[in-house]
Amino acid sequence: MSAPALELKGLKKSFGKAEIIRGIDLSIGKAERHAIIGPNGAGKSTLFNLITARFPPTAGTVKLHGEDLAGLEPYQINRKGLSRSFQITNIFPKMSVFENVRCALLWAQGYKYSFWNLVSRSRQLNEGADAILEQINLLERRDLAAGLLSYAEQRALEIGITIAGGADVIMLDEPTAGMSHSETDYITDLILKVTAGKTLIMVEHDMGVVFGLADRISVLVYGEIIATNTPELVRADPKVQEAYLGAALEAEH
Amino acid sequence: MTDEMTKDPKQQITTDPSKPSERMRAGSMTITLGPWIIAGIALMLMPFIFTSNSALTIMNQMWITVIFALAYNMLLGQGGMLSFGHAVYMGLGGFFCMHIMNYVEDYGVAFPLPLLPLFGGLFGMGFAMLIGSFSTSGAGTRFAMISLGVGELIAACSVIIVAFFGGEEGISGDRTYGLPFFGVEFLKQIEVYYLISFWLMLSAALMYLFSRTPVGRMANAVRDNPERAQFLGYSARWVRFYSFCASGFFCGIAGGLFAISYEILTEENLNAASSGVILLVTFLGGVGFFFGPIIGAIAFTLLQTVLSLQTELWSIYAGALFLATVMFFPGGLAGLLMMHVPAFKLGKMSGLVVPYFKTLIPAAIGVLGICALIEMTFHFRHGATGDNEMTLFWTTFDSHSVLPWIIAIAVAAIGIGIAKMTAPEMKEAWDEANTAGGTS
Repeated sequence: MSAPALELKGLKKSFGKAEIIRGIDLSIGKAERHAIIGPNGAGKSTLFNLITARFPPTAGTVKLHGEDLAGLEPYQINRKGLSRSFQITNIFPKMSVFENVRCALLWAQGYKYSFWNLVSRSRQLNEGADAILEQINLLERRDLAAGLLSYAEQRALEIGITIAGGADVIMLDEPTAGMSHSETDYITDLILKVTAGKTLIMVEHDMGVVFGLADRISVLVYGEIIATNTPELVRADPKVQEAYLGAALEAEH
Repeated sequence: MTDEMTKDPKQQITTDPSKPSERMRAGSMTITLGPWIIAGIALMLMPFIFTSNSALTIMNQMWITVIFALAYNMLLGQGGMLSFGHAVYMGLGGFFCMHIMNYVEDYGVAFPLPLLPLFGGLFGMGFAMLIGSFSTSGAGTRFAMISLGVGELIAACSVIIVAFFGGEEGISGDRTYGLPFFGVEFLKQIEVYYLISFWLMLSAALMYLFSRTPVGRMANAVRDNPERAQFLGYSARWVRFYSFCASGFFCGIAGGLFAISYEILTEENLNAASSGVILLVTFLGGVGFFFGPIIGAIAFTLLQTVLSLQTELWSIYAGALFLATVMFFPGGLAGLLMMHVPAFKLGKMSGLVVPYFKTLIPAAIGVLGICALIEMTFHFRHGATGDNEMTLFWTTFDSHSVLPWIIAIAVAAIGIGIAKMTAPEMKEAWDEANTAGGTS
C-alpha cells in the first residue's frame, strides 16, 4: 500500500498560551476530495497554514506522500507537489492575468532561476498558460492587470495559479467565500474540472459546495477533529450536529 | 486605464474562450526591435546635431546616468526594493576601474579600454553578492535600512581606506594608456561618447532581456506578492538576490564608464547624496515602465546641466518637480505619457490638443511667474549691496523697484487663474477622449 497523499500526526499549534490546533491526526488518500468544515475560529485556516509551512507547528508532523515536511520552507513544499490557494485573494495584482498564470508555471517547467531563457520564446510555457486560462475561462481577460478583475474572476485566477504548477495535492482555502449563488456554482464546477484525479483538500463554509464536492469531510471544532467520514455519515453524526452542523444545515434549508 | 473594464461589464464568467483574435495577441511580451533601432540611430547621430564639447560632456553624463537609473530600477520598479545606498555599487565599480587604469599606465599592460566597464560591472556584482547575501531576505524597511547603512559605511570608508579610495581627493587616472582599440586611443571626447553609447545600448538591451527571463518575471511577482511567489516554488529571497546582483553588475558598468569619462572618482560618487539623486531620477522618469528611468535620466541631467547654468536655484526646481511627480503623477513622466495610450488607441488624441493648450500654456506661464518671484526674492535677499540689477528671461531690471514685482505677481496670478478656469474643460476633454464610442 502506498503512503497517503497527506498525513497529519499529533499536529499542534499554540500562539502564546492560546492553543489553536490541539492535536490533529488525519490521513488523506490519493485522489481523495477532502473538505474541512467547522465553525468560525475553529482553526481551519491555521491548519492550512501549518501544513504549508506558513507557520511552524508547535508539535506533530506533516507528511506529504510519506515524506516528512518538517523544517521545509513553503517554496520547497510547493516543489514537492503541494499547492494552495488563500482565503483572502492572493494574486499578483499589477501583473497581467496571463503573466500571473505563466509565473505559476515557471518552476514546474524547470526554469528555476534562469536568466538565460526568454519567457516569450517558450511555446510550451505560453501555450500552457493559455490552456490554464481557457480552463478557468479567463482567456478574454488575459492582458488585463489582475488587480482589475472582478472578485469572482480573481478567485478563479487564484485557483488557476494554484493548479497551474501541476501539483497533485491541491489545498483550497474557502474558494467560494463572498460569492453569489451563480458564482459559487461556477467555481464549484471549476474546482471539479481542474482537480480531476488530484488530491483536493478544501476549507469551505458553503455546505452545498462541501456536500457536492467532498468524498470525505472532517469537522474541526476548537482545534480538534471531532469526526471524519463520508458526507452522509457526517451529516447523521449527532456529535457533529450538536457542535456545528445542525445550525448550519438549518440555515441552508 | 479602467476603460477596458467598462467595455463589457460583468459578463466575464461566460466569455468565449476560443476567440482567435485574442489568441493572436499572445505577444504581449513580443520583443519589438523598432524602438531599439531608433534609439541606436539617435545615439549615433546626436553628436552631429549637438557638436560642441560641452554638449558631448552633457550627453556622456546623461547616458551614464541612464545606465545607472535603469540598473536602479531593476530593484525599485521591477523588484520592489527601495535602496538608499545604490551609488555604492556604481562608485565601487568606478574606483576599481580607475585602479585598473592606473595599473595599465604604470606597468604598460596591454589592455583595451573598451573592455574596462566589464570589470567595473563584475566588481559591482561581486560587492552586490556580498551585501545581497544578507540584505535581500526582505524588501521592506529592513532592506532600505541595510542599503542606507552600507552606503554610509562605504562612504565613511573612503576617507579611512585611503589606498583604495584615495582619501578626500579621490583617485584619478588617464584613460589613454590602454591598448589602442582599432587605432582609437580615446584622446577625444567624441571617441568616449561612442564608447559610452555602445555600452549604453548593450546594457539597456541586456537589462531589458533580463526582465523577460524567468527570474526577471519572478522579480515582478515577488514585488507584487512575495508570499504568493513562495507558494509557486520560488524563494522570494533568491529571486531578490539575483535581481540585486544583476543590478550591481550594471551599476558597476556605469561606474566604469564614469571612470573613463571623468578620469577621477571621489567620495562624492559613493555618498548618500548620489544615492538620493538616482532614486529621484528613477522616480521622476517612472518606475512602472522599462523606459521610465531613461526619460528620468535625460530630464534630470538636462535640469542639472542646462538649468544650473541659468540659475543657482536649479535644485529647488528639480526638487519641486520631484515633489509634484510624487504627489500628482506617481507613474512619473513615463506614466504620464502612457496615460495617453487608451486615448491614442481610440483615435481621440486630437480632441485633447486644444484643451491642453488652453490649460497647460497658461499654467506654464503662471509657473514661470512664480519662478520669477523666487528668483527675485533670492536676488533681493542675497545680491551684493548696491547691485540691484538682475536679468531674468532676457530682461534686465531693478529687483528693488516695485514694478517688476507687480508684473511677476500678475503673471503668476493670471496664468494660474486661467489654468484653473480651463481645467474643468480639460478634464472633460480627457474623459471624452478615454471613452469608447460617441463623437470622434
